[in-house]
Amino acid sequence: MIRFSNLRRSPFLREPLVHFLLFGALLFGAITLASQARQPVVTIDAQDIEQLAKYWELQNQRAPTRVELAALINERVDEELLAREAIRLGLDKEDMIVRRRLAQKMAFTSEDVAAIPEPDERTLQAYFEQHREGYAIASRVAVQHVFFSRDRLGEPPQAASTLALRRLKAGQTVLGDPSLLPLAYADITTADLARDYGEEFAEAVDKAPLGQWVGPVISAFGVHLIRVERRMPSEIRPFADVRSQVKAAWLAERREDENRKFRLALRKRYKVEIAGLPQ
Amino acid sequence: MPAMKVRRTSTIACLGGAATLTAAFLINASNGQQSGGLIAAARAAPSSSATGGAGSGTRLPGHNVDRNAYFGDLHVHTYLSFDAYIFNVRATPNDAYRFAKGESIGHASGFDVRLQGGPLDFTAVTDHAEYLGAWKEGNDPNSPLSKLPMMQGMYSRDFGEILRAYNRFIAARRSNTIPPELADPAITSRAWREVQDAAALHNSPGRFTTLLGYEYTGSGPAGQNLHRNVIFGGARVPALPFSTLQSGDPESLWHAMDEWRAKGMDALAIPHNSNGSDGLMFDSVRRNGAPVDRAYAELRARNEPLVEITQIKGTSETHPSLSPNDEWANFEIMERYIGTSVPITRFAGGYVRQALRDGIIYREKLGVNPFKLGFIGSSDTHNGAPGSVEEPNYFSKTGLPDGEPIRRGSVPPGGAKIWPADTPDNRNAERPYQAWGASGLAGVWAEENSRDAIFAALRRKETFATSGPRIKVRFFAGYTFSQDLLNRPDTVRQAYAHGIPMGGDLLASKGRAPQFLVWAQRDPRAGYLQRAQIVKGWIEDGQAKEKVFDVSCSDGLKVGANGRCPDNGATVNLKTCEPDRTKGDVELRTLWRDPEFNPRQRAFYYVRILENPSCRWSTWDAIRNGTPPNPKLLPTVMERAWSSPIWYEPSR
Repeated sequence: MIRFSNLRRSPFLREPLVHFLLFGALLFGAITLASQARQPVVTIDAQDIEQLAKYWELQNQRAPTRVELAALINERVDEELLAREAIRLGLDKEDMIVRRRLAQKMAFTSEDVAAIPEPDERTLQAYFEQHREGYAIASRVAVQHVFFSRDRLGEPPQAASTLALRRLKAGQTVLGDPSLLPLAYADITTADLARDYGEEFAEAVDKAPLGQWVGPVISAFGVHLIRVERRMPSEIRPFADVRSQVKAAWLAERREDENRKFRLALRKRYKVEIAGLPQ
Repeated sequence: MPAMKVRRTSTIACLGGAATLTAAFLINASNGQQSGGLIAAARAAPSSSATGGAGSGTRLPGHNVDRNAYFGDLHVHTYLSFDAYIFNVRATPNDAYRFAKGESIGHASGFDVRLQGGPLDFTAVTDHAEYLGAWKEGNDPNSPLSKLPMMQGMYSRDFGEILRAYNRFIAARRSNTIPPELADPAITSRAWREVQDAAALHNSPGRFTTLLGYEYTGSGPAGQNLHRNVIFGGARVPALPFSTLQSGDPESLWHAMDEWRAKGMDALAIPHNSNGSDGLMFDSVRRNGAPVDRAYAELRARNEPLVEITQIKGTSETHPSLSPNDEWANFEIMERYIGTSVPITRFAGGYVRQALRDGIIYREKLGVNPFKLGFIGSSDTHNGAPGSVEEPNYFSKTGLPDGEPIRRGSVPPGGAKIWPADTPDNRNAERPYQAWGASGLAGVWAEENSRDAIFAALRRKETFATSGPRIKVRFFAGYTFSQDLLNRPDTVRQAYAHGIPMGGDLLASKGRAPQFLVWAQRDPRAGYLQRAQIVKGWIEDGQAKEKVFDVSCSDGLKVGANGRCPDNGATVNLKTCEPDRTKGDVELRTLWRDPEFNPRQRAFYYVRILENPSCRWSTWDAIRNGTPPNPKLLPTVMERAWSSPIWYEPSR
């Protein structure tokens, strides 16, 4: 109030025209300031630039030159400006591709946000126990065979094997033919035997009594006498051997859980109305 | 597998999102750390493993210190390859692995296909890196790619349209007018991720191994074929494949591979179809015009230890004009540029045996051999059907255009029962499907069926190639093999202890002559073996020479004075394809000494095993159709296997 009364003392300041001009100038200044404050800013920060450069490098196997980087940044600015203008004009609405990308991005972001804590050993062991069959090795056998080649020039393989079987059963040693495939296996699946010798051989091994010479078994290569020494049933690999796989599988399942929970939560936040379906 | 589904979505989201997010992901992946726990997590379902080997120190079932033969296919295309997609192929990487494991999948022509010979042991899906996944994405009407003029007419089921579309692509590629949107890294990354996911899902140590890979589709200035498959040793791979869109010079690829290796991502490149390179694949001049020098030789040898010597588009072992004294050189020979009728004019530089000969000359001149190549075969199927190189079960390799016999010239046109007198010889036509061979499998000798063991075998070249049958071949060289080596129960153990296996170097030993152990076994589901040969190349008076020795004959026959096995008289009934079951052997085995060995001459030796004649796929097609085989095609083939070479390194 005091100041106001002071102003009144000056005749110049009491002029209405001066008031008008002063007020106009103030208004102009305010509008200019306001419009500058409203001008949207596009910032390309150091991190963005580094990412642009690295991305470029990934494709080209070398760092971009100064000129190339400037072009990259320029392109990035143009892209941002166009995208913002498109959003301002509402071009993103009712666009299936944009919608899909956003949904996918949200799904990804939600996964990243909901960090899964490191599982402890007890958790992993429990998961392993629940999914033991998933970590099984197929059943295997230890088996040896005496081979009589179809190629042999003297005694035919069938006849030679008959004699040999008798001798083997009497506890004598027998010399068969060499084979490119091993004559003794410590630990082999019947699937591998079927692959290398044919189904018939694999089935014979499956049926053979333990510790006895049996045959003749015919394969694509000739005649075999076989003796199964040991059978190792399908076996669960020890936890220590598969720990990293268990952890990966556990994490995958937890992620899926989190995703499901997130989607459920969204369902609760929104009311979904679908034509033709009861509310 | 709900987890799988979410993972895939997340990947797409990540890559399709804002540029910053995309970049962040790629950088993470390139460091080998899979971004987001989920991506890493979902990799390993309980039934599969993301890593190559078994748990620490565990031996897988079937582990064999003397090494087992495993068969696989390292050249497989799926719907992620632009050409496969144009050819109406919709088989995914997942389908390809299912097929390799013995399951049936759908063919573009509408029927189901399945391997007759049982599952393969290992497979790599190797889609074209260029425009990886773009044709698939462009087929979505919501994709902006589908609006590109380039993509119009790319999705036809009409044969003429398909071929026109393919030619349009090739022309655009040559004129550099393919829209850059088709190589959008986001699209490539999505497809590359799909390849990695399928490999992770199907890798199961001890049963089936997947390897990560892709094809670098390079060409010379006139379209000469310079293609390579890049095969990775582990699950950690670069964020994006290095393709010809970065550089068409293979040297750039090898430099990129060197950089990956420095980051712990070992990979090897395997060239193929050198037969379509018009002499450029093993040229004495580099792509930049400079001559081959020591640095180039080292770079190349380090990154390309192997070559795909045979595949459906022909066999590149040797050409009759390069090996006039090799009676078996004329095997599934292709003399045209790939996909065109342009004739090849330079065979030297395009065939492997000649490259091996040139290689030992370079070794003398430069101190390094740029062409020290082990062998594999593979199919190059574009049907997502690894190992589909079985003569009686052949459906060619490019989807709709050659899926049915009438399309590949094996049955008379128009439903006729006989061949017209003027039946043309179309073997050199633009698309010479009838000249393609049902050929190409990769064999390795590895301790067990794991990614680590198989990749190590590829690295040390303990590999072999076959024309389709699963013929097993062993090859060792040494100076101190015992004379009863062949009749011992531990032949192979002794051979490793006193010699070196295929793919290795045999150093000179006081002028002594080495012995070579050659041992082959038939495919239990295919034909009998007829003869074992050793192909030798050596330097004499500064010239590289070659010679083929028969070293073991079937049916108790002996190598004659002419250096050849007598004819064993094996026949095949062309009305039924039934072979003569009394001729040929299940195994060929010998200990061989080179009668012309000179300790001062640098040399290489490799084994070639020949089966008895059997029906070619075109004859099987004809029999099923109730018509005679195409008179312009050979009715039979002699299936074969090739070991990797052993190099004799004389002391200086």
